[in-house]
Amino acid sequence: MHVIAGNVFAISDAQGDIEVDPQTPVGLFAYDTRFLSHWVLRIDGERINALSRDDMTYFETRFFLVPGAASHYVDADVSIIRHRSVHDCFHEKITVLNHSSQHAEFTVRMEMASDFTDIIEVGHLRQRAVQISADSASQRLVLRYQRERFIRETTVRSTVPAEVDEGGMTFRIRIAPEGKWETDLHVSLTIGGEEGRDLREDLQSHQQAVRTGMREDLSEWLDRAPRLVAERNGLEETYRGSLADLAALRYKPLSYRERVPIGGLPWAMGLCGRNGIITCLQTMAFTPELTPATLRMLALMQGGQLDDALDEEPGKILAQLRYGETGAFGDRSSALYYGAADTTPLFVVLLDEYERWSGDADLVRELRHPARMALDWIDDYGDLTGDGYLRYQRRNERDGTINQGWKDSPDGIVNAHGRQPAFPRATCELQGYAYDAKRRGARLAREFWGDPAYADRLEREAAALKDRFNRDFWLPQQDYYALALDPYGEPVDALSSNIGHLLWSGIVTDDRAEAVAEHLVGPRLFNGWGVRTFATGQRTYNPVGLHLGAVWPSDNALIAAGLRHYRLDVPAARIAGGIFDMAQTLGGAVPEVIAGYERSLTKYPVKLASGGRPQSWSSGALLMLLGTTLGLRPIGDNLLVNPAVPEGFGRLELLDIPGRWGHSDAYARDRSTEGQHRPRLR
Amino acid sequence: MGTTVEQHLQQLDAGRRPDLPETTAGTLRLDVRSDGCTEHWYLTIADQHVRVTRSADDAELVVRADRAVFDRMARGELHPGAGLLRNELTVQGNMQLLMLLRRIFSGPRGARHPRELGRAALVGRAATPLRDEQP
Repeated sequence: MHVIAGNVFAISDAQGDIEVDPQTPVGLFAYDTRFLSHWVLRIDGERINALSRDDMTYFETRFFLVPGAASHYVDADVSIIRHRSVHDCFHEKITVLNHSSQHAEFTVRMEMASDFTDIIEVGHLRQRAVQISADSASQRLVLRYQRERFIRETTVRSTVPAEVDEGGMTFRIRIAPEGKWETDLHVSLTIGGEEGRDLREDLQSHQQAVRTGMREDLSEWLDRAPRLVAERNGLEETYRGSLADLAALRYKPLSYRERVPIGGLPWAMGLCGRNGIITCLQTMAFTPELTPATLRMLALMQGGQLDDALDEEPGKILAQLRYGETGAFGDRSSALYYGAADTTPLFVVLLDEYERWSGDADLVRELRHPARMALDWIDDYGDLTGDGYLRYQRRNERDGTINQGWKDSPDGIVNAHGRQPAFPRATCELQGYAYDAKRRGARLAREFWGDPAYADRLEREAAALKDRFNRDFWLPQQDYYALALDPYGEPVDALSSNIGHLLWSGIVTDDRAEAVAEHLVGPRLFNGWGVRTFATGQRTYNPVGLHLGAVWPSDNALIAAGLRHYRLDVPAARIAGGIFDMAQTLGGAVPEVIAGYERSLTKYPVKLASGGRPQSWSSGALLMLLGTTLGLRPIGDNLLVNPAVPEGFGRLELLDIPGRWGHSDAYARDRSTEGQHRPRLR
Repeated sequence: MGTTVEQHLQQLDAGRRPDLPETTAGTLRLDVRSDGCTEHWYLTIADQHVRVTRSADDAELVVRADRAVFDRMARGELHPGAGLLRNELTVQGNMQLLMLLRRIFSGPRGARHPRELGRAALVGRAATPLRDEQP
């Protein structure tokens, strides 16, 4: 049970109560810090029970409750409504209703506490000294944590008189027959700035108020996105749900005036370079406004120095931004961290892709310098052994990320026999991204930066990389590309979903695309819902291993798009159909990851405990798959629509797709309802 | 480059700084606090050049911190973003200019180029050809 507003979110139980669980992030969080770890409502000393809940929007929920255990509340003559919302603070209106014909007296108590845990520490909780000041006269409880000048403070205020003590607030109330009593509990979250003022008060970016009109903001967001009309049951709801999830997962970084996507609930409620870029690429046809803000924010944070602790190099694009205490003090991780080898080429890919859709040439000129630095980074810092491949090896050996592609679990890169290659590692998809970045960089240099010589150079480098790659990574015996090369040029021979990204980047030669596709939708990789990260039959295959067998919608969205680049429409539709089935079977937000079990075995998609939802790149994946199904592609100033619809989907219409053409519509039918289809320019 | 913020700013290269975006321009004032007094340094950034003067005039971004904090930033030991989160420095105005300090100041001493790790891996292999590749 959660409410979200950007990186402020609250997770509670079904009653609306919050109690510390050592392993899961329950509580009210903002900027990676828990501001409330205990928030429990009692009536006359009794816990309360939920009758129902109304999730009004992503930032607002109402709980309808009665006191006592489930067995004997049937004829309760009192009921309680908790109406909760978040924006930059947390708000809960408590209403107690007396349903009897007599006056009734109750003791309402809200227990309150905070441990100010950094979200990264959940699972390794430690005690902090929290100062508490209870003030009944001003109906206020202040919880405060300070380390040096680092201050985090939670202030709870009640709008009606309360007896405030260090453990919460008590209200002794008397309600008239058929009457009601109400209080508003307002919880403000303070990030200590100069002289105890909130840091955000001093920042222009946050002075432009965050909380005005969240409802209007959401309905406008939904209105700006294209409208889906689908014959298939439930698809429109899943689509609208994904759009709303993406709205929820936007936040305004401290240093920035516009909202950018964050990773997702609960672990990645800050800017993640990779998830942000992928989400923007996925949502280009639907919510293009995410992209310029993300590009500018990442350009602002672009690496400027060599720094081992941050794994930073000049030109490198950020991996992650963290606001918690451990990040600020470098205890467990750093506030800014650059340990990712894919974000930098993908930054260039995103800039080019955005121009193709939007026609925003000014942005391409504005971001020339960071884009050029990113392109230079690929060769100057990304090629660690001088063999022309993009590689990674962390310099922060204490808590730097071991594997710096999207498969970032420590044991995620292994060969078919389970052996881990030495460092620095060159995973295959990184070469695809570098190739794509160079080709797209060449287009930008030629068309917008007035630098044809540089464009020629990038094109030559890209062509040479493609040749080299197809020579060194191709495994002729197995008929697929190796997962990686070790530093000595030896291939890591595992069969993995990474080969699908190669199609998306265009580095696969035409004569090999079909073989790659056969593996992707073959029995070892495809489980019926989607493509597994790692094929069965290999030593370390594990259906619940995040990157060793599980299925990620975000991964599958890129793979399906890649298949269509090579006109492999049937396998693309198979993957799209599988992921749509999975999302609709589970309902709710598209999960980050599901287990790799055969669909025919479990019938129902098995969620993994470690995967969160909503996740921006999972909700984005659903949109991207829709775009891939419709075959949306900008060609000059027109939108090309070239559908490949999974069997049984019937009619599909996407209306008012924004882009350089203004707004355009796309119509499609599956093969069972239409004899033929042909590309159509609008 | 110097070891204190004063030395660093006094010795700052007045020439073109190719690592600064040509589209970025602005003014920053650094208020360096020590022993009850505050020194003001005024940075004017335009066209990939940084001009340093001593002035207490208004700037688009004002950064305040103790001398020791500025010294650590100047030596690259403290990223301005981390300093902000620890509340060791405070800012007023256009926050986007803060990140420029990362490039205007030095990087941390002793940082390795990623190629050093690549070379070390290849040398290690050449020296012990039979070494198990597994880490």
